[in-house]
Amino acid sequence: MYHIDGTDYLKQKYYKKTRSICPECHEPIDAEIVEREGEIWMQKECPDHGYYEDKISSSAKYYKWTHFKKKDKDGNVEWQFLKDGETNPPDCIGDDPRGCPYNCGLCEKHISTCSLALIDLTNRCNFNCNFCYANVKQAGYLVEPTLEELDRIMEHFRSKPIPPPAIMFTGGEPTVRKDFPEICKMAKDHGFKEVIVATNGYGFQRKNGKGLEFTKECMEKGLDTLYFQFDGINNETFEKTRGIKNLMSYKQRVIDNCREAGLSSIVLVQTVVKGITDIEVGNVIQYAIDNIDVVRGITYQPVSLCGRSYSEDDLKEMRITNADVIKMVDEQTSGKIGIENAWYPLTTIVEFGRIIAYLADVEPVEFTCHPDCGFATYMVVDPDTNEMVPIMDYFDPIKIVDFSNRFWDKIKHKEKEEIKFFENILGDFGKTLDKGVNWVDKQQLRARFLAGMLQYTKKPGKLMEMFTRILLNGEWESISAFTHGTLLISSMHFQDAYNMNLERTKRCIVHFGVAMPDGSVYEAPFCTMNTLHRPAIEKKVAKKAGTKVMEEFDTTKGERVLPEQEVVHNGGTKKEE
Amino acid sequence: MSQEVITTKDGLKVRKLVSLKPSTSEEYREAIMHRVDHFSQKRDSVFNNMVENILVKGLELILETKIRVDDLLGDQKETVQDFIEKLLFIGL
Repeated sequence: MYHIDGTDYLKQKYYKKTRSICPECHEPIDAEIVEREGEIWMQKECPDHGYYEDKISSSAKYYKWTHFKKKDKDGNVEWQFLKDGETNPPDCIGDDPRGCPYNCGLCEKHISTCSLALIDLTNRCNFNCNFCYANVKQAGYLVEPTLEELDRIMEHFRSKPIPPPAIMFTGGEPTVRKDFPEICKMAKDHGFKEVIVATNGYGFQRKNGKGLEFTKECMEKGLDTLYFQFDGINNETFEKTRGIKNLMSYKQRVIDNCREAGLSSIVLVQTVVKGITDIEVGNVIQYAIDNIDVVRGITYQPVSLCGRSYSEDDLKEMRITNADVIKMVDEQTSGKIGIENAWYPLTTIVEFGRIIAYLADVEPVEFTCHPDCGFATYMVVDPDTNEMVPIMDYFDPIKIVDFSNRFWDKIKHKEKEEIKFFENILGDFGKTLDKGVNWVDKQQLRARFLAGMLQYTKKPGKLMEMFTRILLNGEWESISAFTHGTLLISSMHFQDAYNMNLERTKRCIVHFGVAMPDGSVYEAPFCTMNTLHRPAIEKKVAKKAGTKVMEEFDTTKGERVLPEQEVVHNGGTKKEE
Repeated sequence: MSQEVITTKDGLKVRKLVSLKPSTSEEYREAIMHRVDHFSQKRDSVFNNMVENILVKGLELILETKIRVDDLLGDQKETVQDFIEKLLFIGL
């Protein structure tokens, strides 16, 4: 692990003040983030409920690397995170005196735009996971927006000055809705470039050709990616996490149907729980590599402790941080995907993305979230050894990031102030000439940027061709083709009341949208929605759940009929020798 | 794929991966091209832009040459990179 400015900053202890909430009463309180014995901890005290502490990162070294900004003139390290995003106009007036995070909707304090819009399509589900908030039986009411309400939410997101390029349908299980393919089409018609569904696979796994037919229909209507719940490759693991026996054949049918339908963008999503799924981290990587023709990524999600109170000991026992996941990946891949050089916070590519968007005149994708939100690495096949290696073998990432940051610093003023040389001399007649001048200016900047990027590129090939296309046109098609030559491995740690850092909350780029009864759309950052706002918002939009809906699935066993499965320990199903 | 299989006390199979070679590497290598074919069916796809396609081919040649030159430069590579960077930032 290193930085363009060396490693001196690692000697200085990390300390930062922030705001959080009390895990008991959820009132906003002051908090400190401190370095203790090689780890990073949050400490906070509620005047009514006492002292709390929670681990933020199990690696102070890694944490400091992702938070280092620069040294000031006296040589002191600035632990400051200043990648504030472009902001859309606020949707509401923040009138709650408690301030953030009680003024969601969104208020003027939010300093990132939404990159991924989320809509809960339903709280119906064919599973009955005990930790899930979306469950029609437990709630006793139905939350399921109509097509008109969905249209309104999509319009809300897409009509913003900086609209989100991607949308994800969540739930419950979104594919239990019969109109799900129509909803995918609606999203495409609204201009979302990437349409994603967070699914346990229900609609895609159905037997007798129904799952395949459904997969093809969704794909034709605009579905791009499955964000696919995948806890491991052992049936026993699913039994522990989902309470369902023999689930691997169900999961494998999803993969098989996507393969046959030509839907080649599946992201395996593993919730990482200590002692249950953490030992399957490496298994999921192997499964992804074995199915690399359709699997585009893996997202590890360290479990978020929402929903009930945890004792101090419980918390210490259960807490997993992003750094823990990275260590597990390192250990379970024999150091092939190492903690020292493979992983980068999502925020690393902010300036790179802005340069591409500016030069190619496309909508920017702003990853201006907090560095604690997520880490990622790309894996690619080395053409010489045929083995998958971190993408660092293709690029010099530190040099590329450093070049991009400095380049953006030099040209960012041009985004807001176009050249008006001829307009100043000739008035309106000069505007057309200035358009030409600005075009030429962009081309010379593009040439410089391309040359800079090529300097730090180490290998040719198809992947690099796609990378060059991204640099040239910034189009979603190029990004999509590039990702089809890679395996994206990421770790996303969602916040709960114990570790909530309002500096993170204010920078959230994943927002829920809910159609409210008064005709408005309520927009809230992912973590505050799930930790704080969900119960009250759902009660406002809840509908009466009839017997038919309540009894639709036998959720004591998951799905109605579960197939027997042969073997699960070799990438899902037994392969013929 | 090379692997060491460990069975936990609960009977779970856990693998320590010692090699990351995909068993479907052929399909994988074609995945990019499948995606390009998918987009190319649309007339306005970026992959049907003749000027860009020529430009991409040209840049590919430049990259291959650059990698060969990097090898020849050896320890001098960083000095040359610093010099080129200075050129790229002139006037900005």
